[in-house]
Amino acid sequence: MIIIKDVSKQYGSFSVLNNINLEFINGVYGLLAPNGAGKTTLIKMLATLISPSKGEILYCGENILDMDEGYRTLLGYLPQQFGYYKNYSPKQYLLYLAALKGIGKKEAVNIITELLDKVALSDVMNKKMKKFSGGMIQRVGIAQALLNDPKILILDEPTAGLDPKERARFRHLLSELARDRLVIISTHIVSDIESIANEVIMIKNQQILYKDSVEKICASLEGQVYEASIRYEQLDEFRTRYVVLSEKQERGNMRVRFIHKEKPETEWQPVTPHLEDVFLYEYRDEIEVEV
Amino acid sequence: MQILLHEIKKIFSWKILLLLLFVNGILSFLLIEFDIKYFPNGRPALDSYRIGVEMIEKYGTHMDEDDFADFKKTYEVQLEEANHYLQTRKEFVDAGMGTYEDFRNYDRNNKEQDVLYDKVMFKEPVDMLWELEERSRLIENYKSKEISLEHYMKDANAKQKLRFNELIEAGHYPVYPEVAFANFKSFIYHVAITIIFSVVLVLLPIFIQDRSRRLLDLQYTAKKGRNLYKTKVAAGLISTFIVITTLLITYFGFYSLNHTSMFFSVPIHMFGGDFYWYDPTFFQYIVLTVVAIYILGFVFALLAMSFSSIMSNTIALIGIQIPFVIIMIKYGVFYMMRHIISIWVPKWVVPTSYSVMLVVSVVFIVLLWKREKKRDIVL
Amino acid sequence: MRIIFHECKKAFTSPILVVLILLFMAYNMFLIFSNSYFKEELKVVNELAETYGVKMTDESLHQFQQDLQKDFAKLNEITRKHTAQEFSSIDEFLNTLRYEDRDLYTEKEWAFFTQYQLKEMYFNLAKSIDSEYDRMDWKRMAKSEIEMYGLSGSAAKILQNEYDKFSQRFEEMKENREHKTWFFAGKPYKVHSFLFRTVFGHLIFEALILIVLATALITNYEFENRTNLVTYSTKRGRRLMKDKLAASLLMATAITAFLFVITLGTYFSVFDYSYLWESSISSALNWEYNLPYVSWWNLSFLAFLLLSILLVYMCMILFSAITFVISIFVKNSYFTFFLFTAFFAMAYMMNGFMPQSSMLIFIAGFNLSLLVMNPHMFFMGSGGLMMFKFYEMITVGVWMMIVSVLCIFSFKKFNKQEIY
Repeated sequence: MIIIKDVSKQYGSFSVLNNINLEFINGVYGLLAPNGAGKTTLIKMLATLISPSKGEILYCGENILDMDEGYRTLLGYLPQQFGYYKNYSPKQYLLYLAALKGIGKKEAVNIITELLDKVALSDVMNKKMKKFSGGMIQRVGIAQALLNDPKILILDEPTAGLDPKERARFRHLLSELARDRLVIISTHIVSDIESIANEVIMIKNQQILYKDSVEKICASLEGQVYEASIRYEQLDEFRTRYVVLSEKQERGNMRVRFIHKEKPETEWQPVTPHLEDVFLYEYRDEIEVEV
Repeated sequence: MQILLHEIKKIFSWKILLLLLFVNGILSFLLIEFDIKYFPNGRPALDSYRIGVEMIEKYGTHMDEDDFADFKKTYEVQLEEANHYLQTRKEFVDAGMGTYEDFRNYDRNNKEQDVLYDKVMFKEPVDMLWELEERSRLIENYKSKEISLEHYMKDANAKQKLRFNELIEAGHYPVYPEVAFANFKSFIYHVAITIIFSVVLVLLPIFIQDRSRRLLDLQYTAKKGRNLYKTKVAAGLISTFIVITTLLITYFGFYSLNHTSMFFSVPIHMFGGDFYWYDPTFFQYIVLTVVAIYILGFVFALLAMSFSSIMSNTIALIGIQIPFVIIMIKYGVFYMMRHIISIWVPKWVVPTSYSVMLVVSVVFIVLLWKREKKRDIVL
Repeated sequence: MRIIFHECKKAFTSPILVVLILLFMAYNMFLIFSNSYFKEELKVVNELAETYGVKMTDESLHQFQQDLQKDFAKLNEITRKHTAQEFSSIDEFLNTLRYEDRDLYTEKEWAFFTQYQLKEMYFNLAKSIDSEYDRMDWKRMAKSEIEMYGLSGSAAKILQNEYDKFSQRFEEMKENREHKTWFFAGKPYKVHSFLFRTVFGHLIFEALILIVLATALITNYEFENRTNLVTYSTKRGRRLMKDKLAASLLMATAITAFLFVITLGTYFSVFDYSYLWESSISSALNWEYNLPYVSWWNLSFLAFLLLSILLVYMCMILFSAITFVISIFVKNSYFTFFLFTAFFAMAYMMNGFMPQSSMLIFIAGFNLSLLVMNPHMFFMGSGGLMMFKFYEMITVGVWMMIVSVLCIFSFKKFNKQEIY
C-alpha cells in the first residue's frame, strides 16, 4: 500500500535518514528505535508534515504529496505532542478537527460520542480540557486520530502517559482496528508492540536495520542469549566480557541475561530471545552513551 | 464552510472581544468623542452651523448671485434688529455702543465697553450678535472669493493651477460655512485610526496561536491539510469585515448626533478650508472615506496575518507591527484619509499609495501561502 | 546574579527589540537633524553668554548696548560703501532691502547683518523683561485656568491657592534675578519645546514601548516557551519571578540609558549649549507661548535637564514594574501589551472624568501617564492644571508605593498559584 522509495532527509549537512526503502501493507507495524534515531522524522514524512530531501513516498503507486487531500482523508495521525485549546471541551475540540477532516457536523457528533466512549471519556465529554490529566489528553488524541475512520493510522508514541489499564485497553483497540487497515506505531517501549505488531522496523545509523516479523527478528539472536547466576564480585568483569542485556538480583546472587556468540559454558542457561534483547543488543552503544 | 465558522469563532474569542471593547472605549474617548461632543465647537462655530443649515434650506446646494443678494438682505434685516436691540439697552447707549457698528468696533481698552461686550457675547450670550458676525464673515468671503482663489493659485504647481482654473470656470467657490465638513474630516480621520488599531488587535494572534500550541501537526494531517491556511486568511478577512462594519456602524451612530445630514447633498467644493481634485458631494465623500477605511483595514489585516504566520513569538509579533502602525497613523492616515482628494497632495499619490499597499499586502500573503505549502512542520 | 543575567539575556538577544531600538535611535537622530536648520543662529546667544556672562546685569547690558552701537556704526559703514545710504536700524535696512540688491553685499557682510540683527533682538528682549514680568498677574491667570477647566467649589479654591503660592515664588524670583540669564529666545526658536516636548516626548514613547515589550517578554517567557514546569520547580523555584522583576528593571534602565545617551548625545552635538549650562531654566527668554517657563525651583538648565532625565527614568522603572504585575496576572504577552496600553491611556484620561468641583480632579491627575506626557512642564509652575509645587515628587512617590504593594501582592499570588 505504502512504499517508501530511496528517501533521505537532511537538515543542512546533518543527515537524519539515508536511503530508506520500505513497504507497508495492511496490519500493524512497529517502528522501534531509540530516541533521536529519526523515528519522528520518518513518521512526519508519512504524515506529509515534512517533505523528503530525496526520494518519494508512494501510496498505491501515487506520491502522497501529489495526492494531497486524497491521501490525508485516509490518514489518522497522533503526534508525539499535540496542541489543544485549553478552554475547549473534548467534544468541541473533536468537532473542530472533524470539520478539518471534512466530516459533516451531524455525522461527527455521532462519531465523537462513539469514540469518546471507546476511549472512556464520555463522562467528561463537555468538560474543559484545561484540567485533564496527561492520560486523558492522550486518549483525546487517540480519539481524534480515529475520527475519520482512517485507512492509515500513524501513532507516534501513543502510549505515553497511559497507565497499565489504559495501555491494555489501547492494545485491544488497536488489534481490533488493525484488521483492515495499516497501523504504524512508533515507540521505544518494546512491550507495546511485541505482541501485536505484524512486523517491526528498526532504524540504525539513518538506515533500516530490520523489517521483519517479531519471530524472525528474534531468530537472529537464536541460541545466543543466555541467563546465568553470578556473584556480585564477578559482575564488573562479566560486563566487560559479554554484552549484558539485563541484570536482576536473585537470592544474593545476580541473575544476568547476556549475549554470547561462541560456545557457551555449561552453567549458562540458554533462553529464547525476545524483541527487547534484539533492541538492547543492536542499540547497545547508543544506550550506553545515553546512560 | 464549517471550518471557516470554526476559525472565525476562534478569532473572536471572548478575551479578544473584551479587549476590543475596552480598547475601543478608550480610543473613542481619546480620539472620537471630541468631534461628537463638541460639535459645533463653541462660537462662532455654532452660529456658522446654524447659518449653514439655513443657507442650504434656502439656496440649495449652490449659491448664485440672487441667493447672495438674499443672504445680504437677511443680514441687513438682522443688522437692523441688532441696532434696535442695542438701542433698547440703555447701558450700551451710555457706553457709546448704541449701534452695531460701534459695538463691533468697540475699544478693548475701554473698561466699560469691554465689560459690556463680554456680557452679551460670552456671559448671556446673544445669538443674534454672534450670527451677525458670522454672516458678515461669509459675505466678505463671498465677495472676495475670486481674489482668495487667485491667492492660492500663486503657490500652485501646473496641475494644481489647471484644477483651480477648472473650479473658477465652473464657478465653484467655497462660500458655505465649513464647520460640518471640517468636523466630518476630523471625525473620520480618528475613526480610521481606531479601526486600524482594532483590526490589528483582533488579527495578530490568528496564526501564531495555533502554531505555538502545536496544533499544526493535527491540522495539516487532516483532510483539509495545509489549505487551512487559506481558510484562515479568509476567516481573517471576514472577521476584518465584521470588525470594520460594526465599528463603522457604531461610530456613524455617534456621528448622527451631530445632525449634519442636511449638508450631505452639498458638493464639497462649496465648503471652505481646502480644495479638492474632484467634486463629490459631502455624501459621496463619506462613501469614499468609508471605502478607504475598508481598504486600509484589509491591508492591515493582511499584514497582521502575514506577520502572524512568520514571527516566532508574541513579543516579536507586536514589535514588528509597531513601526508599521506608527508610521501609518502618523503619516499614512493623515495623507490617505485627511487629504484623500486634497489638491495639496499630488493627484496620483493617494490612489497609488492605496494600490501599492493593497498589492504589497496581497503579494505578501500569497508568498507566505506558497511557503506554507512546502514548509517542513518540524516543531 | 547569574540568573538575573540569564533573564536579561532573553530580552537583549531578542532580534525584534534590537531592531526596534536601532530604528528608534535612527528616528531620533533624524528628528534632531531635520529640525536643526536654525542651529547656527543659536550660537549668537552663546557668544553673548561668553562675552557678557550668562547672568544679565545692568552693567553687562550697558556694555552690550555700547557694543551694539559699534555694530550699528559698522552697518552704516557697509551700506554707505555699497549704496550710499544710511539707516536708522538694522530692521529698517532689512525691511527696505530690495531683492535684487542682496548681491551687493559679500557673504561676510551678510553674516554680520544676521549676527547684528539677532543681537538686537536679544537686546530688545532683555530690555523688555521687567515690563513684561511686571504685567504678569497670576491671580488672573488662575482665574482663566479655572474657567478653562470649568472648575468650581473646592477644586477652584485649591488651584487658586496654589497659584497664590506660585505668585510669591514669582515675586521672589524677580527679586533674585534668577530669570535674568541668557537663553535661546523662546518665541522664534522654541528650543525648550523641541528638546523637552518633542525629543523627550519621542524618547519617552519609544522607551515605553521597548520597556513594556522587554518586561512582558522576560516575565512571560517560561509560560510562552512551555518551560514553566521545569523552571518553577527548580531550587530557585518561584523566586525566579523576583529575578525576572530585577532583570526587567535592569533592562528598563539599560534601554532608557541607551536611548538617552544616543539621543541627547546627538542633540547636544547639534545644538550648542556650551555657555548656557548654567543659565536658568526660568530664564525670561525661555518664553515660547503665552507664559514664560517658570520653575518652582531655582534650577540651572543643566540641573533641570538632569532632574528631568532622572524623573523620566523613575517613571520608566515604575512602568516596567506595572507591566510586570500585569504579566503575572495574565501570563500572556499579547494581552499584557494591550492591557498596559489601555492602562496608560486610561490613567491619562482619568482626571477628565472627575467632577470639576471636587479635588478628585487633582487626585486623579497625580498619575504617571499624565506626568510623562508633559515633559516640558516638569517642575514648572506656570500654567496647567497640575502645576502643584511637588507634583512630580508626589506622583512618583505615591506610585512607587502603589507599585511596590502591587508587586508584593503579585509575588504572593504567584507563590500560591497553580502552574500547569
